[in-house]
Order: sequence, then C-alpha cells, then structure tokens
Amino acid sequence: MATEVYREPFERRTKTVRYLKFLEGLADTQIGPIYLGMWGALAFFSYLLCVFITLIGWGEQVGWNPIRFLRELPVLTLYPPPPSYGLQIAPLREGGYWQLATLFLTLTLVFWTIRIWTRATANRLRPMVPIAFSAALFLYAAIYIIHPIWMNSWNEAPGHGLAAILLWTNHFSVKYGNFYYNPFHMVSIFGLLGSTLLLAMHGATILATLAYNSHREVDEIESSDEGTHRAQLLWRWVMGFNATAHSIHVWALGFATLTAVAGAIGVLTSGPFEPNWYLWGCRAGITPGIQASCPPVP
Amino acid sequence: MLSFEAKYRQEAMAVPPVYALGLGVLKIWIGRFYLGFWGLVALIFGTLGSAAWFWRVLFAEAVDKTNPLLNFIRGQVQPPPPEVGLAITFEDGKGFWWLFIVFCATITFFAWMMRQVDISRLLKIGYQVPIAFGAVFSSWLTIQIVRPVLLGHWSEGFPLGVMAHLDWLSAFGYRYYNFFFNPFHAIGITLLFGSAFVLSLHGATILSASGLKREGVTEENINQFYWDFLGYSIGEVGIHRLAMWTAVMCVLMSNLCFVLSGTVVQDWNAFWDFWNKAPFWSGFGFN
Repeated sequence: MATEVYREPFERRTKTVRYLKFLEGLADTQIGPIYLGMWGALAFFSYLLCVFITLIGWGEQVGWNPIRFLRELPVLTLYPPPPSYGLQIAPLREGGYWQLATLFLTLTLVFWTIRIWTRATANRLRPMVPIAFSAALFLYAAIYIIHPIWMNSWNEAPGHGLAAILLWTNHFSVKYGNFYYNPFHMVSIFGLLGSTLLLAMHGATILATLAYNSHREVDEIESSDEGTHRAQLLWRWVMGFNATAHSIHVWALGFATLTAVAGAIGVLTSGPFEPNWYLWGCRAGITPGIQASCPPVP
Repeated sequence: MLSFEAKYRQEAMAVPPVYALGLGVLKIWIGRFYLGFWGLVALIFGTLGSAAWFWRVLFAEAVDKTNPLLNFIRGQVQPPPPEVGLAITFEDGKGFWWLFIVFCATITFFAWMMRQVDISRLLKIGYQVPIAFGAVFSSWLTIQIVRPVLLGHWSEGFPLGVMAHLDWLSAFGYRYYNFFFNPFHAIGITLLFGSAFVLSLHGATILSASGLKREGVTEENINQFYWDFLGYSIGEVGIHRLAMWTAVMCVLMSNLCFVLSGTVVQDWNAFWDFWNKAPFWSGFGFN
C-alpha cells in the first residue's frame, strides 16, 4: 500500500472547530474542520447551479409569487421534455430547465464521488466509501440517463420536485406492468429490507456489548477481544451462525450494494427487455389467484 | 465450538435462573444452538406453523403437485373471508389454516424475542438485540392482529404466500388511493433507504481501514476522513446508535402508516386537502 499522500491544486480546511453539546453521551460532538479542495468546490458550485436552475423553473411556474410558491411547493415540478423532443435539447420552458438541472446534478454527483475518493486516499484509507457510493451513482445513472437514452426520450426520467419523484415511481411501476412482478425489483427489495435487518442487528449487537469495547472495530478486526466474542456467541447461540468483526462489514456492504445494483438492473431491463412485468409473471406462472386471468400463451 | 466458547458456556451456567425465562430449565446447547425454555417453545410452534404452511401450499392446495418450487412461490394460505369477522373458525376453507399459522407464528416470534433476552442475559450484555427484534415483532402484531381487530374482521390480514403478499401489498397501496401520498409511508421509506445508506457507509468505512494497522492506520484516519468530506464524524459508538435507531424507527413508522389506513384515513390523496384548504392561504387571495 502506497503511503504517498494525494494533494489537490488548492487545499484548505476550515480553521474553526465547533462542538455540539446536545450530542454529548450519544455521539461525537466535534463539527469540522471540513475540507474544500478542487473537487469539493466543483461539486458545491455545480450543485448550487442545479438548485438555482430548479428554483428559476419553479418560480416561473408560480409567477414569482412567494406565497403561491409556498402553497404549491410539494407539487412544483421541473418536467423533462415531452416525448416529441426525443433526446434533443428542448426550449427552457419545455424541459430545457430540467435538462440543465439534471446535467449539473449529474456533474455534482460525479465530482462528489471523486471528492470522497481523493479524501479517502489522502487519509490513507482504501477507497471503499466511494466504491460503495458509485453503486448508488449507478442507480441514479440508470434512472436519469441510461434508461431515457435507451428509450430515446428524456421524458422517461423523473421530474425534479417532491411529489414528482413519488409520481414517477408510481407511474414507472404501472407503465411496465407492475414492478412487484419484476424479479430484479424483488431482489432489490430483498436487499433493501435485508439492509434494514442487518443494520438493526449490527447496531443492536454492538450497543449491547459496548461495556466490553466491541465498538472499537478497527482494533477488533486485528485481534478480537471479549466484546466481539460475546457478540459472536449471541448470534451463534440464537441462530447457529455468526459473523466476525470483519465479515459483518462485508455482509453490510454486500447487502447495501445489492439493493442499488439490482434496482438499476430492474430499471434498465424495463422496456428494452421486458415491456410488461405482469405478463412476465404470467408466463413464469407465479401470479397467484389471478393466474386464470392471464392471457393465453401463444 | 469456537476456540473461546467453553469459558462463556461455563459462565452462562452460573447465571441465576429467573421465572420469566423458564427458571433455567433446558439450559443446554444442541450443537451450536442454545435451547432454553423459550427456545423449546419457539421450536414447537415454529415447526407446527411451518409444517402447516408447507403442507397447505405444497400438497393440500397445490395447483401443480409436480412442481414444488412453483407452488412455493405462488402458493398461499388466505385469511378468513369478511363474513367470518373476528370469529375463531375451525372450518377448512374458511380461513382456519390462516388463523392457525398466524397463531403459531405469533407465539414463535414472541418466544424468539424472549430467547434473545435469555441469551443476552447469559452473556451479560445489554438487551438491544431483543429490543430491535421487538420492533419488527410489533410490525407483525400491528398488521396481522391489531389492524384486523380494529376493523372487525380477520380478512384484513395479509395472505401467507410469497407472491400473494406482494399482490396484497400492491392492492393495499391503491385501495387507500395511493400509498405514495401517505406521509408515514414516506417517512418509513426514507428511513428504509436511509438504512441501506447508513449500512453501506458503515460497512465501507470499516473495510476501508481494516488490515492497515501495521501501516499506522487507525480510527483517527476515519475521523479525519469524515471531517474532511462531511465536516462531521459521528464516532464509533454514535454510528451504532444511529444504525439501530434508523432501522427501528423505519419499522415503527411503517406500523403507523398501516394502522392509520382504513381506520382513520380512507384516501391518502384527499388527506392532503388540509394543506390546500388551510385558512392561511385565503388571506393572500388563494382558494
């Protein structure tokens, strides 16, 4: 492992360090020093642009009336261009705002990933956090970029707004014949609920053995001690299987990554490979009760 | 046995018995598993319930007896029809098997939780694991028992089956207009995705530092990394508090979103009328 430290063109950490008193006894209280750096600055400014463009689009829709803005905030949406524009650049008010905002949002996420990567290596850690983050980035890219390009229409992507994301999720599911029957969606949900389960199990296990210092995980991986032993025996006696201080974090990363990657595959296969997941379920013969109403197999 | 296990088993034998945990009867290990009083209860009712479900799905109600995998995926045990109400029916075909399996499962889950209490006590550690399990047990109680009782019939419970419960969930969402507009569903989903996010961050963080101790990498490097990119490092105790309570609150919020549907709120879209109809807006010429 190289010990050479990564340096960026301009490096700066804030000098002030604050402490949040209300967190005492619950978690670490120190705020800062935060690091800016080139990638941080790029991420910050492109996100600022994304928010700025979105606010302009929303502001125009409510005639710059602040009260109306507040009232309609939950449903205000920057819509992607209508399908007739395909993948072309649309006029600002017909989806151009959306295209610009999405461009800068994408840039933000890419810059942010690079920022985490450089910060990890600069602090002599393996770049596992940016690798994990790129799984989420892949899901984002699948939804906002790859799937729309494949289907030749930006209209396939979600609009920017609070209700818009919920409505897109709902419509996307119905448009491709109910996502409950999408096997990749099933695997993704398995990963999602499994993640919550693992998180509860791991968090609770470590909290239960705090008195024996099991929370010092970097040290415990090197040589496990009483806290980890008691934690391991808990699960071994309960369910006949236990992880180690190291392997539980492999499980963790694996489940969380599975959620995002399987979800992305589920989105990417919808349309080009399977236009209707309900009919797929019919063909696979897994639809209970309503199997009788499935169309006959040709 | 693990290399260090014998010592802890001896220690466990010396822990004084209590009434609620079966007075220490069956304080024995079967292979890797600890048995204990509640373990036996879980074993008996778990076996009964599972056997009943598999028998119904793979044999008694099987569509195609030659394909057990397909029956496993699409088979189901349905709750009693609405006219049964909250009666305890013993009629096959009127939901007896659903009642029987739900009864067995409820006892099994409770016994499993008590078994975790027992083992936590034997190992002289905190009770956070049974508390976290209690959260998800409360979810089962809410959906299968509390909500059906509030609405007056068992048919409100979900059918026991792999695809069947997906169908039920899908239909449930649209029955109350659209679950996407249920604010407690939204909070629950946020915490659900938040769980995956926290899990991913924590797993990746620990793995990024593990095995590098010989090169002088410690948790201080992790702290500095988090201060650098987020401006805050929650710390090695804090992350596990955040972890447990993100997951637990996710489940508790989903309890709320279920139990309010059909009892208090019939239409989650119309629910938001309170926002549009707030008198505040009329002062500015809206409505």
